[in-house]
Amino acid sequence: MSFVFAVLRQVFRNFRQTWLSQLMTLLTVSLSVFIFAFFYLVYLNMLNIGDKLGYDLRLIVYLEEEPIPELQEQLRRKILAFDEVEEIHFVSRAEAFERFKTQLGEDQDVLEDMPEDFLPPSIEVVPLKNLRSLNQVKLFSEYLSKLPGTIKVQYGQDWIERFYYFTRLVSIIVVLSAGLLILTSVFMVSYKIRLTIIGRKEELELLKLVGATHSYISTPFLVEGILQGLLGATLGLTSLFGLFYWIKMKFSGPGILNIFEFSFFGPPTIVMIAIVSILLCLTGSYSSMRKYLRT
Amino acid sequence: MSNQSTNAMVELIKVSKTYHPNIQALKDVSISIRSGEMVFITGRSGAGKTTLLKLLCKMELPTRGLVEIDGSDIRKVRGRNLSYLRQQIGVAYQDFKLLTDRTVAQNISIAMEVSYRKPQVIKKRVKTLLEELDLTDKHSSMTGDLSRGEQQRVAIARAVANSPKLILVDEPTGNLDATTTGRVMDMLIGLNDSGATVLIATHDHTIYRDVDHRLLELRGGQMHQLRDGVMQ
Repeated sequence: MSFVFAVLRQVFRNFRQTWLSQLMTLLTVSLSVFIFAFFYLVYLNMLNIGDKLGYDLRLIVYLEEEPIPELQEQLRRKILAFDEVEEIHFVSRAEAFERFKTQLGEDQDVLEDMPEDFLPPSIEVVPLKNLRSLNQVKLFSEYLSKLPGTIKVQYGQDWIERFYYFTRLVSIIVVLSAGLLILTSVFMVSYKIRLTIIGRKEELELLKLVGATHSYISTPFLVEGILQGLLGATLGLTSLFGLFYWIKMKFSGPGILNIFEFSFFGPPTIVMIAIVSILLCLTGSYSSMRKYLRT
Repeated sequence: MSNQSTNAMVELIKVSKTYHPNIQALKDVSISIRSGEMVFITGRSGAGKTTLLKLLCKMELPTRGLVEIDGSDIRKVRGRNLSYLRQQIGVAYQDFKLLTDRTVAQNISIAMEVSYRKPQVIKKRVKTLLEELDLTDKHSSMTGDLSRGEQQRVAIARAVANSPKLILVDEPTGNLDATTTGRVMDMLIGLNDSGATVLIATHDHTIYRDVDHRLLELRGGQMHQLRDGVMQ
């Protein structure tokens, strides 16, 4: 009889004898994986959204007077002194009027009696397209508002700040749920294996007395830990994918969710979550076995 | 097991065992049992017979003295080596140590499974042992459902199943009738004839009365030789 056969037979016996507690542990691990993966997925999609929003983000610096080319160059240097930017564009009063007229479309006749220089000149600053610059927008805006000749700076302060705080909040939840995953996986599996050891104490003692090696006794429990981790991750991620798919189907069509394209984890992330889950369950299993074999 | 040229399977030199708080089970016991020998150890209850057997399979460690099995100091044998040593020692415990939620066949198989014997070999050996001990009809019975005498025979079957070099039997006939006692003794003698060293702790004089093997007596934790044996 080979070692592999002996281990598999013992794993099968363990599952048969303690199927209820095995099931409870599996569900707990699955739930932990699900919670962690859910928030991690939200976080990753928020980063994507952040990137996309950052793509359209621009700060508009309204000026008192239309700057002459020399002043334009000075302002450009001052702006670049704060941070690198994607683009700086000076908008004259006339250009602003033309844009406004275009935006009004069929209603542009309302501008007929208005002077063409009633709109202030401005500078459009497009920051770099990443979340770091998005988070720095507030500081950048404060800097720009202090430039000489600036009336005010606009960039949609409200949503950017809310988005920034929400992203921070989600990242904290991701860290907390990762902690939950670690605690539940390690402790639940460890506790479950300890209960099994207590339940099978007589048998394990006898195995030692008839000459079973440590690996003969402990390997089935370690395999059990690996299976709990693998099945827990599979069940948790499959459930999350089901939920993701359902939400995508349910809310497809025109609506807020359709503005952005939500995506599920790629294969490397799925494999990484499964490996982490397996390693955590294996750690729980190993710690219990180590304690038992040391006594 | 070591391949030393010594033919002493068991060597005890000035071995003492004291249990907490101050109960002396064995005191300066020195014996040497040759490979292939059959020895009876007798003595009243509490004389230290079980303690002696426990020292030989490292269930207990001596408080003082040297215990060697086939040339290996039992104190120094650990981990994998201890497992391999125990695979060579078959023990029939006084309290049987049976798994009561397993069948007779499963209990007997355990000793062979840890040595990775082939399933068909295990099956055949279990069948033979059950026939020898008149337990064929109990093959699939749970050991928890058996009588004390039947449980005792299962424990003996498990001890000898792996064809160990050293067989330790603690009170093998305590719950058996005369006929079954005869069967058990015939099996142990047969194994001894095949080369196994057999050590039987008993206070049943009927099993050593008519044989000419060495007879030792434990009295107050000390060993006394009552009869010199003849190697078969």
